[in-house]
Amino acid sequence: MVAYILRRLLYLIPTIFGVALLVFLLFTVAGEDPVRIALGNHASPEAIADLRAKWGLDKSLFAQFGDFLMQILTFDYGTSYNNGEQLSELFAKGAVVSLSLTLPPFLLGLCLNVSLAMLIAYYRNSWFDRWATAIAVMAMSVSYLVYIIALQYLLAFKLDLFPINGYESGLRSIYYLVLPGLIMLLVSIGPDIRIYRTVFLDEIDADYVRTARAKGVSERAVLFKHVLKNALIPIITYTVVVIPFLVLGAFLMERFFSLPGVGDLLITAINTGDYPVLKGLTMYIAIGYSLFNLLSDVLYAFVDPRVKLS
Amino acid sequence: MKSTLSVRSLRWIALLAVASLFACKPPPKDGDGTATVNAKGEVTADGEQTKKLVVFNYFRSSAHKSLDPAGQFDSASGELIENLYDKLIDYHYLNRPYQLVPGLLAKMPTLSDDKLTYTFELRKGVHYIDDPCFKDGKGREVVADDIVYVLKRYADASVNTQSYPAIFSGFVKGLDEFRAKTRELGKAMKYDEHEVEGIKKTGKYTVEITLTKPNPLAIYPFASSTMSIYPREAVEKYGEEFARHPVGTGPFKMHKYDRRGVMVFRRNENYQGTYPTEGAPGDKEKGLLVDAGKKIPFIDEIRMPLIEEPNPRTLKFRRGQIDWIGLDKDNVAKMVKRDEKGFHLQPEYAAQFDMYSEPYTATEFWRINMKDPVIGGNSPEKKALRQALAYALDVPGYIKEMRNGRGSKLDTLVPTVFSGAQNEIGFEGYSTNIEMAKKKLAEAGYPEGKGLPEIQLEFRASTTDTRQGYEYHRAQLAKAGIKLKGNFQTFSAWLRKTEAGNYQISAAGWSADYPDPENFYQLFYGPNKTPGPNNGQYVNPKYDELFDKMRFMNPGAERNAIIKEMAGILKEDVPVIIHYEPIVLGVYHKWVKNLKRNMMHNPPFRYLRIDEEVKKTQMPKLKR
Repeated sequence: MVAYILRRLLYLIPTIFGVALLVFLLFTVAGEDPVRIALGNHASPEAIADLRAKWGLDKSLFAQFGDFLMQILTFDYGTSYNNGEQLSELFAKGAVVSLSLTLPPFLLGLCLNVSLAMLIAYYRNSWFDRWATAIAVMAMSVSYLVYIIALQYLLAFKLDLFPINGYESGLRSIYYLVLPGLIMLLVSIGPDIRIYRTVFLDEIDADYVRTARAKGVSERAVLFKHVLKNALIPIITYTVVVIPFLVLGAFLMERFFSLPGVGDLLITAINTGDYPVLKGLTMYIAIGYSLFNLLSDVLYAFVDPRVKLS
Repeated sequence: MKSTLSVRSLRWIALLAVASLFACKPPPKDGDGTATVNAKGEVTADGEQTKKLVVFNYFRSSAHKSLDPAGQFDSASGELIENLYDKLIDYHYLNRPYQLVPGLLAKMPTLSDDKLTYTFELRKGVHYIDDPCFKDGKGREVVADDIVYVLKRYADASVNTQSYPAIFSGFVKGLDEFRAKTRELGKAMKYDEHEVEGIKKTGKYTVEITLTKPNPLAIYPFASSTMSIYPREAVEKYGEEFARHPVGTGPFKMHKYDRRGVMVFRRNENYQGTYPTEGAPGDKEKGLLVDAGKKIPFIDEIRMPLIEEPNPRTLKFRRGQIDWIGLDKDNVAKMVKRDEKGFHLQPEYAAQFDMYSEPYTATEFWRINMKDPVIGGNSPEKKALRQALAYALDVPGYIKEMRNGRGSKLDTLVPTVFSGAQNEIGFEGYSTNIEMAKKKLAEAGYPEGKGLPEIQLEFRASTTDTRQGYEYHRAQLAKAGIKLKGNFQTFSAWLRKTEAGNYQISAAGWSADYPDPENFYQLFYGPNKTPGPNNGQYVNPKYDELFDKMRFMNPGAERNAIIKEMAGILKEDVPVIIHYEPIVLGVYHKWVKNLKRNMMHNPPFRYLRIDEEVKKTQMPKLKR
């Protein structure tokens, strides 16, 4: 297994290089000119040249790409065009906020939605199944923004159960994170239940389940010992690769609740042409996605003895 | 066994969650307007209360770039710097048109007989805030050396990439050369080893600044937040961190720096400013002179969380957790009505809040590409076509329907709060007249619009508002037989297109760098052609001659006569179709006193007062 993991890690090098090249070309060659975005209307040629020099954009493309590769290797993406702050510090602070926001509803949602989907699959084709599916579809059809605006208005403004928005670090952050977390959990129920229910239904009518039932195994044992275990592979596939994106936060949530997470950082960077932030985050996500992909492959071997890592 | 374990774990998790919720007592709610501090000025624990602070709750709609005055040129940074630093000269808070007054100076700068040398004399006894950058931690007195240092650093190309070339380049003798030297030497540049011919310290508190040529406009940059005064000790001690560690003489000082969270300013106890003793007509009746002559600021603390979305901002305002907000289009439609007397709050809101409306110091217009083969050029036919466009547009209708009335039609380029504006020079521009538009169209060789190709209009955004506005103009022009086609793009793409001259009409605007007509009329000055701000490539020798004469004159009847003549030339040639000046609206709680929107002095925290008694009675009345 170690050899497999090492080999996969080696394969990451050309993948990351390819992504780096693509990201560099996208932002540096094809993208909008960040200097013009920053300087706005009627900037003098002198001002443009000065800012280009300050940001190192007067160097050749090869030199700029070399700098970018070095940044990836050292995990130091320099400073933001926007405010001169160190990106590693900005990313670290933002990631803590984003993960505090997204991780609890993600984990809670995983437990809750898998359980609910199993329950629905257990009562398949009953009125409960039909109603639950219909409600899930309805919940999915409502825009994320509607949940945010309606619940912020109702629960925070009208009923005063939560703060309208804001953030403080440390344990006090919980006070500000409960409502957005609750909304994220609520929003995840519809689509997750639909997916997990389908996964369970695929397994529930499989031959090995029929055999287990024929042998007299109770329905509960069939569900927990056989169906759940075999459904884990698609569930892992669906959930593990999502984990790196949790760091990106939920930009709408962060914006409406004034949470200084990575999602909000990303949107601000897009709006202001802050390319170091965009390039840095894109690379973090690309590397994270590749690593978690590898992790999900390793996990397959743990949950399914038929999968051999070689 | 497995299921028992998981139930047990779940119980532990639930217990921990509940315990942590209790452990983190909810923070005090914003908007109670008070906080308590101990002798050190720190917010205290229970039972250690020594002083109740008067808190002004505001917000930031975008994060600032830098608190280094010379290193910023964005409004979010400027708004903070305005309250942390002082400038040599400032704008009068209440008077209109906007008027310059001494800031850190003892009096307004005096000008030599040859109109080339300004003498700046500092007020004595003004001190910086206490900071570890000073020898004993005590803020030292502001002296002439500070002005010399700030001006040199302002011109340093490695520090200031934006405001110097935009508003100060070419003004002071030898300063451009000094800037070139900073570019050449980079970090190795030592300011003290390079004198600037036009900047001379003549005493402990006096500095003479010599201009390259007589220019009354050279005074305005000294009133910009980018030229705020700071000590060199702070720059040398904090280096790059100076952008996050302000050391100034302003009415407030930094208490908590959290760029993406809540920024907190505290009152500078040593601030020496006073509230103005005179104002514009009507200010006294509005209660804006009640505090005349009193020591400012009245507020102990300003809290400014970053709230980028307008929706939660409005909710917090309605709950009393924010004291003042600007109104966006949707809120205007809901909360405000407009009649012939102006804007008013709807009765249900008027019982809870007060409001203001103030012209913004900007002009919106359509710029014509004078090199375009269809719509550009100086032949009578081309002029007639552009005049047809100007007659066909319905600007008042657009303001009413598309902007909820938040604007005033302009007849000249200059916003009405500046001297030399239409109300002062007595000038009338184009008014909607479809019959005249048709007549002009026929003169241009396109009777009823026959044979006229679609006119392309370039927009610098693709928002719903932009598209709706375009539809309105398209329908209006169609009444005269003119077909309009809108092209929507990003700001950067729009810049590229317009600067390359690859357009017919560009929907543009200009926000004042300083309150003078010159700043607007230079947009059509021949020598300012691309890469300068005249990207429509308009050239009229008579206009240029008048502009050259006007730019160096002081405000007055003679200058106004020239401005009127220039406005007439623009009306005749139509290189620009002038639309409107935006009007900004805002609402504030009844406990906020002394609030008058001042576009050159924003936000005016130093003058605001909170009436605690009114707040106590008003808070319970706020509707949810």
